Amino acid sequence: MEAAPSPAPATAPIIAFDKVVAGYTPSLTILNATTLDARAGEITLLIGPNGAGKSTVLKTLFGILTPTSGEVRFEGACVNGVPPRELLARGIAFVPQGRNLFGSLSVRHNLELGGFTLPRRELPSRIDEVLARFPRIRERLDNQASTMSGGEQKQLEVGRALLLRPRVLLIDEPSIGLSPKLVQDVMTLLRALADAGTTVLMVEQNVRTALKYADRALVLEMGRLALDRPAATLLDDPDLNRLFLGGHARPAA
Amino acid sequence: MAEFLQLVVSGIATGAIYAVAALGFTLMWQAAGVINFAQGEFVMLPAFGMLMCIGVGMPLWLAFLVTCVAAALVLGYAFKRGIADPLIHHGVIPLVIATLGVSIAAKSFVRSGYSAMAQQFPSPFPEGVFHVAGVTVSFADAGTLVIAGAIVLSLQAFLNRTVTGRAMQAVAQNTESARVLGIDVSRMVLYVFVINALLACVAALLITPIYLAKFDMGETIGTKAFFAAIIGGFNQTRGALLGGVLIGVMENVVGYYLSPAYKEGVALVLFLLVILFRPEGILGRREERKV
Repeated sequence: MEAAPSPAPATAPIIAFDKVVAGYTPSLTILNATTLDARAGEITLLIGPNGAGKSTVLKTLFGILTPTSGEVRFEGACVNGVPPRELLARGIAFVPQGRNLFGSLSVRHNLELGGFTLPRRELPSRIDEVLARFPRIRERLDNQASTMSGGEQKQLEVGRALLLRPRVLLIDEPSIGLSPKLVQDVMTLLRALADAGTTVLMVEQNVRTALKYADRALVLEMGRLALDRPAATLLDDPDLNRLFLGGHARPAA
Repeated sequence: MAEFLQLVVSGIATGAIYAVAALGFTLMWQAAGVINFAQGEFVMLPAFGMLMCIGVGMPLWLAFLVTCVAAALVLGYAFKRGIADPLIHHGVIPLVIATLGVSIAAKSFVRSGYSAMAQQFPSPFPEGVFHVAGVTVSFADAGTLVIAGAIVLSLQAFLNRTVTGRAMQAVAQNTESARVLGIDVSRMVLYVFVINALLACVAALLITPIYLAKFDMGETIGTKAFFAAIIGGFNQTRGALLGGVLIGVMENVVGYYLSPAYKEGVALVLFLLVILFRPEGILGRREERKV
């Protein structure tokens, strides 16, 4: 099955997967010669049924998984197997799925750990920068992170990732466990980041909401790119529901 | 009343030694998911290391420092790289079995290579006693309390007030999230192994003058430290302190008021009570992993 034709690129790809094969064990590959890209300053939404390889794309890009073949490129340079610590230094940050805070530490200390790779003297100004964006976190700064609500925790996770001023933000299922209002807040925040120049690569099951905020949607199916469309046009696409129910995209015309 | 206070003070001193060894258990479990059943032998080996150094003419303080360096290398670095790292990916059980093997090997090595007889060990504290509010306190008990207390407080301060300490806590709580933030997980775990080795050296320095240096001395301290860690809460460093002190005090009280014959069973009874009624330990948090 061939992927649908891509729209004409508005900006150059900052991230590219070229026939990448990767998985959690050598015998079980999740990405099967996956080829896709994400453009600078856009929100690229990765969607697809369970097991399609969405989270695996993020983990492979962030160096948690190493491709067995193919090439992952960031700004044109191959980053296969480059460890997370080095990718953070190059400008990629990752907010994984689920709860990622250190519950017994304070909100302030959780934030500080987001800048673990930064020189110590830069930390205070970076933390102020993040707190200016998230006033609610400032109010809870000395509380234990585990006492925060789900929405506050997600804000803190995103804020912690932003501490390094990443040029690319990878975020996996940010809406999980959040109320519809908080989902809107998180999506609005991601939109604002993208508008300010940060590239966002997002995996999200709450597709209809996410499509409203994304620039572009990539639909994965069985570890391959099945559709590549502007997000706005995909909302009414009949293929969308079928893909989520495990069906197949129609071959490209 | 003075008798009781006397028992409590000396019990706290003995318990503080258990606590130092128990801290190693909790740190290793929290940061690396390792239960080290050779912990008692990790105390016994530095005791003999110090004896060997003293045997070649070193003063006790120098013997202690040299042994700390050797322990950091052998019981910290080499133990992590040679045994823990290759086995940790296979789950807890293979590593537990490996540490039991290390325990047996260490005892056999010392028994055949050094001596099967108990060896005298010099005390780092002067002999004698002093009196406070009607309670007679030995310099050994007071010194043990001061050193063990300082170690526990320093470790708490390191873990809570330094970025490296908090990064070690982060690794213990959520390894994957720590890695995503660029924290060098392997290095943090190595620090834990090295700290554990140093704690074992301190415990050896404090307890060997009381129990004498013998190849099987680790069985008692290892078991009591393990019980102390469970009683206080295996996932809490403060719990190790509480568990150790509780065992030390209760042993003294039971030994004096009931019978010395029951003294050795106190830790086991406390352990069973905690397992039955509060399995996460007195200060412990519930978590999915189970010891």
